Amino acid sequence: MDLVSFARGPALEVALAVFCLGVVWRIVGFALLRIRRNFNEPRNSLVKAIIGGVIATGSRSWPHSEFTVRTGAGEALGYGYHIGLFIVILAFAPHIAFFGSLFGVTWPALPNSVITIFSVLTFTLLLAVLFRRVTHRVLRMLSNFDDYFSWFITTLVIVTGLMATAHIGGPYQTILGLHILSFDALLVWFPFGKLMHAFYIFPSRAINGTLLSRKGAAS
Amino acid sequence: MSITATLSANLALEEARSPEARVAGAMRGFALEIGALSAFRMESCIHCGICADACHFYIATEDPQYTPIWKVEPFKQAYKRESSAFAPVFRWLGLKKKVTADELEHWQYLLFDSCNMCGRCSLICPMGIDVSALIEQARHAMFEAGLAPTELYEKAANQKRTGQPEDSAEPYRDKLLAIGREFGVEIPLDKSDVEVMLTVPRTDIEHYPKAVAALARVMQHLGVSCTFRSDGLVAENYGYYAGGKEWQRQISLRLIDEALACKAKLLIVPECGHAYTALRWEAADLYGKPLPFKVRHVTEFLAEQLQLGKLTLRTAETGATTFHDPCQLVRKGGVTNAPRTLMKAMGVELHEMKNHGAFSFCCGGGGGVVDIQRAAPLRYRAMENKLREVDDTGASTFITSCSDCRRTFDDARSHFNWEKTPRSLLELVADNLAGTAGNAA
Amino acid sequence: MAHYHDQPTIGEMLERHGVSRRTFIKYCTAMASALALPPLAGRAMAEQLRAALRPSVIYLSFQECTGCLESLIRSFSPSIENLIFDVISLDYDDTLMAAAGAQAEMARDKAMKDNYGKYVLVIDGSVPTGANGAYCALGGKSAVDILREAAKGAAAIVCVGTCSSFGGVPFADPNPTQAWPVSDIVSDKPIVNVSGCPPIPEVITGTLLQFISTGKVPDLDEYRRPKVFFGNTIHDRCYRRPFYDQGKFAKSFDDEGARNGWCLFELGCKGPTTYNACATTKWNGGTSFPIESGHPCLGCSEPNFWDKGSFYSALSAPRWGKAGEVSPGDVLKVVGGAAAVGAALGVASAGLSRLRQRHIEKSTTNNEAKES
Repeated sequence: MDLVSFARGPALEVALAVFCLGVVWRIVGFALLRIRRNFNEPRNSLVKAIIGGVIATGSRSWPHSEFTVRTGAGEALGYGYHIGLFIVILAFAPHIAFFGSLFGVTWPALPNSVITIFSVLTFTLLLAVLFRRVTHRVLRMLSNFDDYFSWFITTLVIVTGLMATAHIGGPYQTILGLHILSFDALLVWFPFGKLMHAFYIFPSRAINGTLLSRKGAAS
Repeated sequence: MSITATLSANLALEEARSPEARVAGAMRGFALEIGALSAFRMESCIHCGICADACHFYIATEDPQYTPIWKVEPFKQAYKRESSAFAPVFRWLGLKKKVTADELEHWQYLLFDSCNMCGRCSLICPMGIDVSALIEQARHAMFEAGLAPTELYEKAANQKRTGQPEDSAEPYRDKLLAIGREFGVEIPLDKSDVEVMLTVPRTDIEHYPKAVAALARVMQHLGVSCTFRSDGLVAENYGYYAGGKEWQRQISLRLIDEALACKAKLLIVPECGHAYTALRWEAADLYGKPLPFKVRHVTEFLAEQLQLGKLTLRTAETGATTFHDPCQLVRKGGVTNAPRTLMKAMGVELHEMKNHGAFSFCCGGGGGVVDIQRAAPLRYRAMENKLREVDDTGASTFITSCSDCRRTFDDARSHFNWEKTPRSLLELVADNLAGTAGNAA
Repeated sequence: MAHYHDQPTIGEMLERHGVSRRTFIKYCTAMASALALPPLAGRAMAEQLRAALRPSVIYLSFQECTGCLESLIRSFSPSIENLIFDVISLDYDDTLMAAAGAQAEMARDKAMKDNYGKYVLVIDGSVPTGANGAYCALGGKSAVDILREAAKGAAAIVCVGTCSSFGGVPFADPNPTQAWPVSDIVSDKPIVNVSGCPPIPEVITGTLLQFISTGKVPDLDEYRRPKVFFGNTIHDRCYRRPFYDQGKFAKSFDDEGARNGWCLFELGCKGPTTYNACATTKWNGGTSFPIESGHPCLGCSEPNFWDKGSFYSALSAPRWGKAGEVSPGDVLKVVGGAAAVGAALGVASAGLSRLRQRHIEKSTTNNEAKES
């Protein structure tokens, strides 16, 4: 069995299984912990609180104007590579074909030249993000293995993908195999590290936003 | 300097704890705190470090350890090790280290001295994490470890035992009556079958008697049947500051029992921010069922009276004025409009600070920090930015609606030779009640 | 030209057949350009070839379909007549030779004996080893024995087609005849694989010519294929590549994209992973190649091309299990099964945490009760 066949075959199957198992385990594992009831008198009705939560879900995507001077650049960097990742993952024809064969749905793709530009940009931003993480004293202090490894594995997928489309670094099928294999590795790592934030971000904003709105507090 | 060395003699029990007992206590306290919500908050952190940029302690010092989420780091580790889905795996592979007693001692400074629980970081987090809620839970664990700062621990212990955070030569009850006599206002005390139960901040009794008189005067003016209760006088809750959850419950219970005893339908929290959080948002949860009366901040109550037309106010001659938003009332409590409604009714020319309303910077004294002596140098550093913002408004009058904020600013006056005098919004209202002669005292 | 053999050189043979030196240089120059050599190399090649003896070539067919030979005899430059009459001495090919039976076997054995150590052995077809080689036998000898014997005196072995190069169709799962590629059986001779199902005729003849003119095994890739023909992927040289780069894909064989000649990636084209010269040399004298006719590349010159799932599912498509092709239903099975196990583990770990909490709570209240 060659590398591509292995990567998109048994490795992918195992990775998908580990991914699902881990994600569900981790979420169920904390969601079923105790939930304390609120007995205090709410300031806002439940409906109003939930509306507040929904607003917070969207509005937290960009810092409140009071914070932008200090954090705007950092957040722009962060969101920048996220947007780049989304475009590259979801709008590249071979990726769509991949998802199509997994889930049976496809959608229109962007031209490869556009994808190439975005992936190079994304890669550059990822380098900048890493540079920031190792030089910024707060980030350096907060960072642990999870942060660096999650960065590494995301970047590995991007780099092997770029190499495969640019036909550099070895025979196409070897690089393609490595690309798919690194994606498999990302799936396996996903539930155990910070990549889980993909599942957390919107519920977290919504729940905390709702709780704050319930009190009439800012959110 | 070891923390244990600073603990006073009457904390012998706490002092005698071995490091192992401390860690065990912290872990026990923390384990009890873990629920789906707090777990979700700890799960969600992506180590982006953005919360640092909301914190006045970090902004002032640029010291990374003041990053808000870092202040709960040992407990994040403990959560992953003890309660998360993969906890057995983490323990088995030794991936997350056990928290040590030394770490806990160090974190005492981060959780108490350098955090006002002002909640500004909770507004900046891109993951929407309520960081200050986590800090509050971490304080509970620190208390269980016997690592609450001495000042807070002692006051909490005193308040739990006697109802007063500090012993005083004259009981607060007598002081209260004396204030009434001094300011010529009747103090309703220990009445029953009233509409409203009043409470008083110990800070006001000790430092701002005029504010106490103002509360009585306004209530008298409105003709509301109300009373103070000798056994439920103090609004503050040092159990909340120190992180002693059970103590906090017992201290709140004292007020709840008194409110029930006098059949009040409304409990008024005076100008004290954290008392509002403790009574408005936390008391019922600790009580285990909804409170049979409402809890309102005095400015909320007055703004409501104003809107109902029961209260009319004269124009106050304050000149250019700025208002400090107390975190617990405004950012975390939602009492944002009430103080502004009152000021508007008095025609106050309000010049907002650069960061105001929900985004206001904390005075630096909240969360019990103003009581922690060794924290003063750091607190002053963190405060400079706030004072600058006050000065930048160009206002000559400076108002707030929390006596602890007021005390913190007053303290800054002497430390920085700052020329502004923080004034009480309640006092301003009491001085400008329409149809009264005003009180110049 | 002086020579000490009783055999004529290639040059002499050419003269005998009325091929002028000039014509031959022209032919060699064309060949050199096919081999991507500089133009002057054509002249050198012509001189070397003219001086060379016609090497003996023994062509053995094993477990195969004769497609490769069918391809070879359609070679345009050099034509097969040119090749077998002028350039090489094809001493044995059981399909092409007039002789049959014992006569043919004798011709082979004689050629092997006469040219021991010098002949080029061309193998077509895989070598079945199951049932003691009984699946493929000639004149009472099994293919594997014939190969071992013939390989001993060979100067080099050229494997024509994917079967002899990589096992090909007979080698495909479950490989009932235990068929192996030549390289799995012979390990002590230089082997050149000219893979493809079938290989491009000009690639076969070109490889032979290059070997004969230089006497050396050409530069090979990791699969022992001559780099000169197998150095690029179909995708790299495909005239439809711009559509791939623009993200324009045919989604079915009769849609707008297919009519417009867009990229066939999503229809399963294996061009990106297939190394061969189809896109440049093309077939039938440079007429066309599969993609040009609107069909995706099957990847026939790559090892195991038969076992890589449907020819019509995209290269990036996941596949696992016995069936190979993965349907959304299969994915759901994996995802659902794993999620169910995950949920069970989640319930268990949350339950454990809550039990611990209750235990701590109980012991704390007990202690407090004792204190008060």
